[in-house]
Amino acid sequence: MKIWLRNLIGLAMISAGSAALLLAIESAAAQSSDYHHPRLIGTDNPDLNGVWQALNTANWDIRPHAAAPSALPDLLGAIGAVPPGLGVVEGNEIPYQPWASDKQRENFEGRLTRPLDRETNETTGDPEAKCYMPGVPRATYLPHPFQIVHTQSQVFVAYEFASAARIIHMDSQPPSPAPSWMGWSIGHWEGDTLVVEVTDQTELTWFDRAGNFHSDALRVTERYTPITPNHLHYEALIEDPNVFTRPWTISMPLYRRMEPNAQLLEFKCIEFAEMFMYEHLLESSSD
Amino acid sequence: MNTRTITSRFALTSGLLLGMLAQLPATAQETDHWTPDRTAWGDPDLQGVYTFSTLTPLERPETLGDKATYTAEELAEAELQSNIRPTVAESPIQGNEYNAFWTSNEKGRLVARTSLIVDPPNGRLPPLTEHGQQISDERAAELASRQVGEEPLIYTLYDTWLDHPAYTRCVARPMPRIKQAYNHGLQILQTPDYVVIYYESMHDTRVIPLDGRPHIASNIHQWNGDARGHWEGDTLVVDWRNFTDKQDFRDIGLPQGNTRLVERITKIDENTIEYEVTVHDPMTWTQPWTLVAPWRADDPSFQNPEDLYEFACHEGNYRMMENSLNGSKTLRETYAVPK
Repeated sequence: MKIWLRNLIGLAMISAGSAALLLAIESAAAQSSDYHHPRLIGTDNPDLNGVWQALNTANWDIRPHAAAPSALPDLLGAIGAVPPGLGVVEGNEIPYQPWASDKQRENFEGRLTRPLDRETNETTGDPEAKCYMPGVPRATYLPHPFQIVHTQSQVFVAYEFASAARIIHMDSQPPSPAPSWMGWSIGHWEGDTLVVEVTDQTELTWFDRAGNFHSDALRVTERYTPITPNHLHYEALIEDPNVFTRPWTISMPLYRRMEPNAQLLEFKCIEFAEMFMYEHLLESSSD
Repeated sequence: MNTRTITSRFALTSGLLLGMLAQLPATAQETDHWTPDRTAWGDPDLQGVYTFSTLTPLERPETLGDKATYTAEELAEAELQSNIRPTVAESPIQGNEYNAFWTSNEKGRLVARTSLIVDPPNGRLPPLTEHGQQISDERAAELASRQVGEEPLIYTLYDTWLDHPAYTRCVARPMPRIKQAYNHGLQILQTPDYVVIYYESMHDTRVIPLDGRPHIASNIHQWNGDARGHWEGDTLVVDWRNFTDKQDFRDIGLPQGNTRLVERITKIDENTIEYEVTVHDPMTWTQPWTLVAPWRADDPSFQNPEDLYEFACHEGNYRMMENSLNGSKTLRETYAVPK
């Protein structure tokens, strides 16, 4: 409870300074900030080490959305209801090809489909419900912290959700060995911005619980820019010619977790997903 | 940068093996002249990609009695024999020959000792406490109750996903990590405030704060526990607590909830980290015990010595679970074993 209270107080403080802060975010986006972030020891690059977290509702829907009931109001009451959000998509609209708009709606309708057979498991339902690795950019704005481990030669990101992780290659550009859930990340610096090209992700991850999706042609270009000692501006350019009519961008601030001794805890959610995924296998055999 | 192929590393290794063995340090003292590089902020630099696989068993085979170390000749012979990979035709597992490949090609090197355990001095796990023995017996009986068939075909029944060990469910590996079926890569990263050990298998990231903060509240139990570290000279000392009882040491065995681990991690030459860990669990064992194992960056059987790749285990586990649970239903019918 105390940590949560402290969060709330922190939020209140953020709100109090919000006018200045929002200006700072805007100016960082426009690349005109005079802010000088501390350097990583032994390098000329900004030090991105820390435990970070998004404070928004993009994981429910990256687009602007009103509050909505949970999928199980009879069991959960108001708990689990969808918190509203201004959206993180620049211009608010995701430029789906016509078929893909329909597919997104189908995804949403079937988001809690239990995987009663192999094919269903591979084609239907929100991968978050199954505790599958979230992919990029969803990993960034899940309602869980992540830790950037920034060394002189590498940037490594450990996510609390599902103990997902990825290595961002900085010194070399080794080729991706195979498609993967968290993709293959190659980074470089543009001034104080860490730019990461993420390719070779499977088509099996989603952007959010609303069923927004992509194909295996997805290419994500992330930009992490420190704008105050305790905020990063995060942007991700989304390109996927199989699904969208043009590239589009999401953006949001990321906040440093300020609690004393903040650390990632375990969220190994496989054990929370097994009943959902496998309960039907407990029934006696059909023949 | 290492651009040699696996083949050439094999050739290099077999040619130089005897020479290298002759140089193996007999005691830690002989390595004292070697000091690790320093990070920009002055800590010993442990960073790199290593394999924790080794052919040396956790416990000394009982047939070896009090023989604590191999001679250089014995070691060379054993290592040459064990690094010969079987062909499909030679596989001992008929019908599942592929298993011989993905489980056997990361053998790791032997150390001169006949066991990883160095304390107790007999190289074997200490006796279990009465409580530990009771738990061990209960687990063994429970497992036996789920086995059907006759030698050589004994099948284990899995009536629920919970009958599978955490390893098979892709949840976690027990600590300390010692040689497993396959996939032993780990990477160490360092910042002034943290040492991070990332294990490819189970994509587990162990973030070790160095700032002396207290452990998390004692009622929080985690599969991978909770780490606090500090430097003692060139050695990183890590104190692990807060383990969950849902984890089993050696998969089917002993709960870890009361375990406290103290790791001592030291780089002893350009390519080797000496990993020492003492297991304190007075509920389970009558005394603490200690193992010392090599983490090596130059192991000839290590397949991806420059990079770790994604280990998507649970994401590909649906069919395994479906087959094992459905298969167990069929076996219960075949052998007329009611639940």
